[in-house]
Amino acid sequence: MIKVLAACGAGVNSSHQIKSAIEEEMSNRGYQIQADTVMVKDITEELLLKYDILTPISTPDLGFKINIPIVEAGPILYRIPTMSQPVFDKLEETIKSLNK
Amino acid sequence: MEALISFSNQFFKPILSLGGPPVMFIVLTLLALIMKVKFARALEGGMKLAIALTGMGTVIGILTGAFAPALQGFVKSTGIQLSITDVGWAPLATITWGSAYTLYFLMLLVILNIVMLVMNKTNTLDVDIFDVWHLSVVGLLVMYYSNNNLFLASLLVLFIGVLKFINSDLMKPTFNELVNMPESNPTTTTHLNFMFNPIAMVLNKVFDIFLPFIDKYDFDAATLNKKIGFWGSKFAIGCYLGVFVGILGQQELKSIFSLAFTGGVCLELFSFMGSWFIAAVEPLSQGITNFMSKKFAGRQFNIGIDWPFLASRAEIWAAANVLAPIMLIEALFLPGNGVLPLGGIIAMGMTPSLLVVTRGKMMRMIIIGALMLPVFLLAGTAIAEFATKTALAVGAFPPGIAETQMITHSTLEGPVEKFIAIAVGKFGGNMTIENAIKMVTSLVVYLGLFVWYAKQMKKRNIELAAKKQN
Repeated sequence: MIKVLAACGAGVNSSHQIKSAIEEEMSNRGYQIQADTVMVKDITEELLLKYDILTPISTPDLGFKINIPIVEAGPILYRIPTMSQPVFDKLEETIKSLNK
Repeated sequence: MEALISFSNQFFKPILSLGGPPVMFIVLTLLALIMKVKFARALEGGMKLAIALTGMGTVIGILTGAFAPALQGFVKSTGIQLSITDVGWAPLATITWGSAYTLYFLMLLVILNIVMLVMNKTNTLDVDIFDVWHLSVVGLLVMYYSNNNLFLASLLVLFIGVLKFINSDLMKPTFNELVNMPESNPTTTTHLNFMFNPIAMVLNKVFDIFLPFIDKYDFDAATLNKKIGFWGSKFAIGCYLGVFVGILGQQELKSIFSLAFTGGVCLELFSFMGSWFIAAVEPLSQGITNFMSKKFAGRQFNIGIDWPFLASRAEIWAAANVLAPIMLIEALFLPGNGVLPLGGIIAMGMTPSLLVVTRGKMMRMIIIGALMLPVFLLAGTAIAEFATKTALAVGAFPPGIAETQMITHSTLEGPVEKFIAIAVGKFGGNMTIENAIKMVTSLVVYLGLFVWYAKQMKKRNIELAAKKQN
């Protein structure tokens, strides 16, 4: 099971769209994914320890180094398949590189 | 005509009498089907909307029920009338999405977007369907004050809609700079909170001319946020507010604890129920995006999504965190204010706009923010009656709460637009010369400020382009 953390401004709108899109597409591609959502401002170093990949709407400056792979997921929100495809591809590549 | 009215009454009355959640369940499902969404997905959206409406009503009930005695105690002991409960954005979204007019305003804005794209008046394709509720509040306010003058409401929604699309194009280069996006990235936003930019820009200009030295005292927002840590999270803020209200209302220790934890629970639940809403509108959003991108296949445009792509800038949070206690103090002393900041205490309806206008200068964001928060508090007070009655009308307000108990959102996006909507609505309800003058003056000042702001932004965009070339 790969654990993904989707982050956006209020932790309600964009991150939930990213979460459901990632879970749906990655399960279609045969991966077991569990995605959670969070407000960007609530991300802490401890929280990130529980996740394999961070998928923020755009890469945030948190005041500390992010030690897990980041896949920017903003384009998923355009809802246009040709634009969200590269995000899913990058995510798949990242999952493979985790060797889990 | 009469036959038509009586037929539609016979047809619609039994449906409307079902109440808010069932009506919206039917309406949203049907609308998604019209946009060629698959039946199961459409039904899922409709059910989620009805559940979100029901759930949000329940949470509002828990919060207002728990806080009401303490707030009444506070009014009694101090004479300060801060009896309007600030429930934050999510319940207000519920109220507006509980009205079928929101779907009508959505249709108007989709048509407007198509027309402006065809005429090359905007490059923005808006796919942020959920946030239509902000402009819907404006339309519904006009309806509320004008005895349901749908024509005036539609005109005002379209007028602000046009400015919103223009604004999203104007801000695009600033967005690219703020979050380091390449030119090829199409992300932009038409969010209503950026219609606050013109006013923020007036104050920013004052800083440019008279107080430029203030920028020397800027500090690092990310470090501040890290220091604040969990102390600034939703549940923690809910707890402080419970304690604060409990002390103000001179409650017993046991009640203060109970208020603190109820506050924490409700702030978490509001945002949880809020996410159901967004999930509910998801199938419809996809249907509309499919339709729009098919119509404009092959054209390059910017894509308008919700504002949080800017949330990666730590200044938004740092400024909001610093402004929260300032707002609480201002609320206590601001004449005419009736709102005790609660659900909306993190001023996300304002700080993204401050980020864009000041381009992340923290000191300016905080000072302009502190000066401008009263506008939000007064707008929150002004719309409380409307929000409360509409909540009752669409079934998002719980029974068992005193009728005097009003709800609002203290930092709702577009405070200026709320005052304009009230002016337009009052003219619609009572077409006197005085009301006409008030309406026209407010619209002229609003448009004039926007035109000035647009010129400033164009100048900036030229500078940004020149900087990039060097």
